[in-house]
Amino acid sequence: MLSIKNLHASVEGKEILKGINLEIKAGEVHAIMGPNGSGKSTLSQVLAGNEAFEITSGEVTLNGDNLLDLATEERAREGIFLAFQYPVEIPGVSNLQFLRTAVNAMRKHRGEEEMNAAEFMKLAKEVSRQVDLDPAFLKRGVNEGFSGGEKKRNEIMQALLLQPKLAILDETDSGLDIDALQVVSNGVNALRAEDRAILMVTHYQRLLNHIVPDYVHVLAGGKIVKSGGRELALELEERGYGWLGIKDEDTSN
Amino acid sequence: MKPAPTLSSAFLHPAGQTLPEPLLALRKQRASALVNMPLPTRKTENWKYSSKYLKLSDDMAISLPAEGKAGTSLAIPGYKVVFTNGVMIPEASEYPDLDGISIQSFSDLDADEAQTLSVQLGSTLDHEQAQFARVNGARFEDGLLIRLQPGAVLDQPLFIIHNTAADACGSAYPRIYVEAGANSQMTLVEEYTSNGEAAVLVNTVTEFNLADGARITSIRLNMEGEQVQHIGATGVLQAQNSRFESHCVGFGGQLRRHDLQVRLEGEGAETKLNGVVVTQGKQHYDNHTSIDHVAANCNSEETYRNIAADQSHAIFNGRIHIHQDAQKSNADMNNKNLLLNNGAEIDTKPELEIYADDVKCAHGATIGQLDETSLFYLVSRGIGRREANVLLTMAFINELVSQIPVQAVRETAQLRLNDFFEQTFQEI
Ligand SMILES: Nc1ncnc2c1ncn2[C@@H]1O[C@H](COP(=O)(O)OP(=O)(O)OP(=O)(O)O)[C@@H](O)[C@H]1O
Ligand SMILES: [Mg+2]
Repeated sequence: MLSIKNLHASVEGKEILKGINLEIKAGEVHAIMGPNGSGKSTLSQVLAGNEAFEITSGEVTLNGDNLLDLATEERAREGIFLAFQYPVEIPGVSNLQFLRTAVNAMRKHRGEEEMNAAEFMKLAKEVSRQVDLDPAFLKRGVNEGFSGGEKKRNEIMQALLLQPKLAILDETDSGLDIDALQVVSNGVNALRAEDRAILMVTHYQRLLNHIVPDYVHVLAGGKIVKSGGRELALELEERGYGWLGIKDEDTSN
Repeated sequence: MKPAPTLSSAFLHPAGQTLPEPLLALRKQRASALVNMPLPTRKTENWKYSSKYLKLSDDMAISLPAEGKAGTSLAIPGYKVVFTNGVMIPEASEYPDLDGISIQSFSDLDADEAQTLSVQLGSTLDHEQAQFARVNGARFEDGLLIRLQPGAVLDQPLFIIHNTAADACGSAYPRIYVEAGANSQMTLVEEYTSNGEAAVLVNTVTEFNLADGARITSIRLNMEGEQVQHIGATGVLQAQNSRFESHCVGFGGQLRRHDLQVRLEGEGAETKLNGVVVTQGKQHYDNHTSIDHVAANCNSEETYRNIAADQSHAIFNGRIHIHQDAQKSNADMNNKNLLLNNGAEIDTKPELEIYADDVKCAHGATIGQLDETSLFYLVSRGIGRREANVLLTMAFINELVSQIPVQAVRETAQLRLNDFFEQTFQEI
């Protein structure tokens, strides 16, 4: 499904991604771990099309098509979804209006009829319950004044509404209490499907108890330095990153 | 040195003579005071950003005839009074005969009523700041007088449509005077529209005099055509415990100027001023507001938003003057501005003069652009770029548009905003 070859990216002249290689097949769940500042969010943002990052070399294909040629909105319509590490607050745009506009943009792209306000309200209420978010949140501004955990649940709610092919979850587990972690994990597990892949960035192996990954990768200094099965996460939990030969300068950049 | 420009004497010529005698006399007297009235230049403080947009010609001094089709963009649900070129058109107007409420054109006033009005006209305004209100005083052809007896309540909004219809260059001088008796209430919508392509001057004055406990909601919608130079002034006097609420929505043009002056003269008076301005192309819009806290224990709350696209130019000048005896005043002024293109210009200036010591006065002004991170978030959900821009731009003014208490006005404003978005974001 997703193929990343020798991807290099920089921001403000500073190289962050220094040759990423990664293959993700439909149905798989991949976890990316790694020290702070190693480039995990950068990779996520680059895949979603954030133009703040400059791609200096490499290629990325989604089901064989060049992803890097597509604008952000086109990538989304082709099935890329990024749950942001820091979801953006947009006062003045209601969450409901935002979600409906997004769902309808996707439907339009697929040649389906747009949903009217009443139909959408029904759907949105269902999905908000699924992530244990009171439907009152639909009326508020997008993420406006949401707590950290509420923002993360709002991200998963969007994934459930948009039904992406590749869901990239950037630290969707951070800042969640134990119950919320369960709710969010259930949401993510509900997304798991034969024709869908999930790439999740996390610092904590505990998430991987709830969402069991097929592969675990360690990103350090802008490169994937180690890949393995889920037992790699357990090993990292126990031993930290030092044994992988990750130097301080790599972790702090 | 070049002599300072003055108002051409062409603007002093008497207009139609159908008004009652006391008003004709007033007009004449005001005209004589206008001889050699200096025109604003960029050295005139309260016109420094706008004088370059002012283009008066002698042809423009001609009063536009009160004919032509009266157009409005509002689907008017209730009472309405229609003016063409500053003169009331009774056939097009529709309002009830209600107890305690009189709505009359100036031309219909009897001598006594006209005499009373002639003393009141202009009394709410500081003409030093609103220079052009003087010109209106010398030139108005007609006007609307609304008197609410104590306790009278108008059950529906009254729409006053001021349409400027011009095939040729000229000017119109709409005038409204509202006297709101103690505890009376009304909502008044002024819509300024135009048809015809000629270069015209529309010079308006609206006055509100609120007695104790009166409550007035005023909505002003400026929808005139590109070539109209609109210079308007609104004066508000507020007695004890009265409440005035204003919603101004304006779309730019060659010249748009509105001076809104509020004087809180009785204790416990409250005023709330909301304003939204949208400009594009080479349009201009200049709002000058002024709030005088004269009495103690008054509240004022002001929120203005400007959105400027292309090479347009928007100006906000907010003056708050808290007089020495106005203890416990509470004044809050907020102006936020959105620049949609680098070529656009926004000038904002708060002017605070505080002479009392026990007051709360907050003010804030910002100028910014659409937030890239927010845009990215929206498009990352598949929302098109154009739509994302519209959502964020709308978000900037939603709060104010949704507060407009008359649905027909909200809808009209929204339609016009959609046109604006259509043009502004067409290349996205
Ligand atoms: N817009 C930017 N401008 C400058 N530097 C940036 C920018 N975005 C990211 N960086 C830098 O790139 C490096 C990688 O950041 P990134 O956010 O990808 O790390 P991360 O692996 O997600 O870290 P964390 O675990 O803390 O979330 C950091 O050193 C960061 O400071
Ligand atoms: Mg990160």
